[in-house]
Amino acid sequence: MHDSTLKLTLRYLVSIIIVGIFVFPIAWWGLTSVKPISAVFDKDRIVVFDFEPTLENYRVTVLGYSKRSSKEDGKTLMGTSGNNSYDGRSSIVSSVIVAVGSTLVTTIMALLASYGLSRMRFWGSQGYLNWILSQRFLPPVAIIVPLVFIFHDMGLRDTHTGLIIAHTLINIPIAVLLLKSFMDDIPIDIDQAAMIDGATRFQCFWMVILPMVKGGLAATAVLCFVFSWTEFLLSLFLTNSIRTIPVKITTYVTSTGSEWGYISALGTSAILPSFIFILLVQRHLVRGLTMGAIKD
Amino acid sequence: MLIVFGLYPVLYSLWLSMFKRNPATRIETFRPSWNWSKVFADDRVIDAVSVTLTYTLIALTIQLVLGLAIALLLDSDRKGFGLLRSLMILPLVVPPAVTGMMFLLMYDGSFGVISHMLYGLGLLSPSTPILAGGTSALWGVIIADVWQWTPFMVLIMLAGLRALPKDPFEAAAIDGATDMQAFFRLTLPMMSKIIALAVLIRGIDLFRIYDYIKVMTDSGPGTATETLTAYAGTIYFKNADFPYASTVALFTLILVVIIANLFIKIFKVRF
Repeated sequence: MHDSTLKLTLRYLVSIIIVGIFVFPIAWWGLTSVKPISAVFDKDRIVVFDFEPTLENYRVTVLGYSKRSSKEDGKTLMGTSGNNSYDGRSSIVSSVIVAVGSTLVTTIMALLASYGLSRMRFWGSQGYLNWILSQRFLPPVAIIVPLVFIFHDMGLRDTHTGLIIAHTLINIPIAVLLLKSFMDDIPIDIDQAAMIDGATRFQCFWMVILPMVKGGLAATAVLCFVFSWTEFLLSLFLTNSIRTIPVKITTYVTSTGSEWGYISALGTSAILPSFIFILLVQRHLVRGLTMGAIKD
Repeated sequence: MLIVFGLYPVLYSLWLSMFKRNPATRIETFRPSWNWSKVFADDRVIDAVSVTLTYTLIALTIQLVLGLAIALLLDSDRKGFGLLRSLMILPLVVPPAVTGMMFLLMYDGSFGVISHMLYGLGLLSPSTPILAGGTSALWGVIIADVWQWTPFMVLIMLAGLRALPKDPFEAAAIDGATDMQAFFRLTLPMMSKIIALAVLIRGIDLFRIYDYIKVMTDSGPGTATETLTAYAGTIYFKNADFPYASTVALFTLILVVIIANLFIKIFKVRF
């Protein structure tokens, strides 16, 4: 098909406009985070670019300077943060611990499980696969109440460990199916060749298969990280004092009005790591989101 | 571990749903059918089912059509389209709770950018903010959902388009088929499996919608945007009636499984 120049220009134009519409909310959000309060809350007109950019919002939420001292001059010390309810530092730390922890646990468990499922036929392996898949149907809300009780009884409620286990639980099905689809791409002949040469099952897995699925492994890990990083419901129910960023951010909406500057600053900081990671594995993203069902 | 944290909670939920909670004494007594008969007699559950279905169907249709259209548009090897495709997937990684807040900010009646645009176009008056009217609130949430998840459809459709064989299209072009004919006679039928799969995955997720509702409207105004999962959350948090909350949640699960299995049977989806 040969597009005429006019058609091509039109296509570019339409594409750019549509993508622009989809990027706009993020851009607006980022812009809001560097606006001074007066520009955010201007009732008469929408301030787009004509404002003094300020990092005030980031200083309060990410660095934990207390609100007032940060406003008076730029050089005051860290606020004692007892009176700064907008201090997002602890939630950032929580989010990092939980996301990294659950990613590690999920990836390791899924790696072993998927190797077994991909290479061996054992009693119930198909049933096991279907069952893993069916976990996806489960609305998290359906298990949240019992989970809260179980976690409470086990002393896991409101702990990082508890949240790591919860996130691992929801991520494992996706990770197993995804990794299995990557491993299925490697011909089984390679295993057999290695084993004829005297490698044990484990050596074969560790020294032959593992290096070959590195890319898939990275993609899986990043997806697990992003899912855990953005997870809201489980974190909301299972914790009180430990808050991950998505939960923390909703507490900034108060009955007296919302501190949009702080919200957007913390929100932007929460989005950035995901952006970077996701761009790194963009190639494998389709497979990840469909749990290995579609091979790109 | 999967059994402990995956299967056990569902069974526990079922067990829990068989108790009747007395709000005054907070004592739970074993009455297996109490909550279940309550679910089927509860008007709010019926309303929630209709809201959930409306929400799922509208959002799914928009996302599917938009996703396919945008995928067709961006499916080009020319310079610049790669960058556009990368930008297109950005909404996917924003935490849903943050998406809710973003749109809350833009919908705000006095300084929200979308509200101001609509004022300018005369489609909205400052006296009725978007999220304050029943119908418009539902649309407001749907738009946030569409914004976040259309890129997902685009990604899947792009992968599907890329995997299509080239020969039939060349043959069709030689036979003088128009682009439209090629699309409806070739692209759509060949993509049907992928489309069905995408609809299934998104449909299940949409049916379990919670984050946006919780953040943006908290089921309001009134119960205009109360979905099943949101209702279960409300019972849990506000009434602390845990047995009934898990009954409603299980009811949701049963509905999802039934609808999903019907869909899989009818459209022969295979994983």
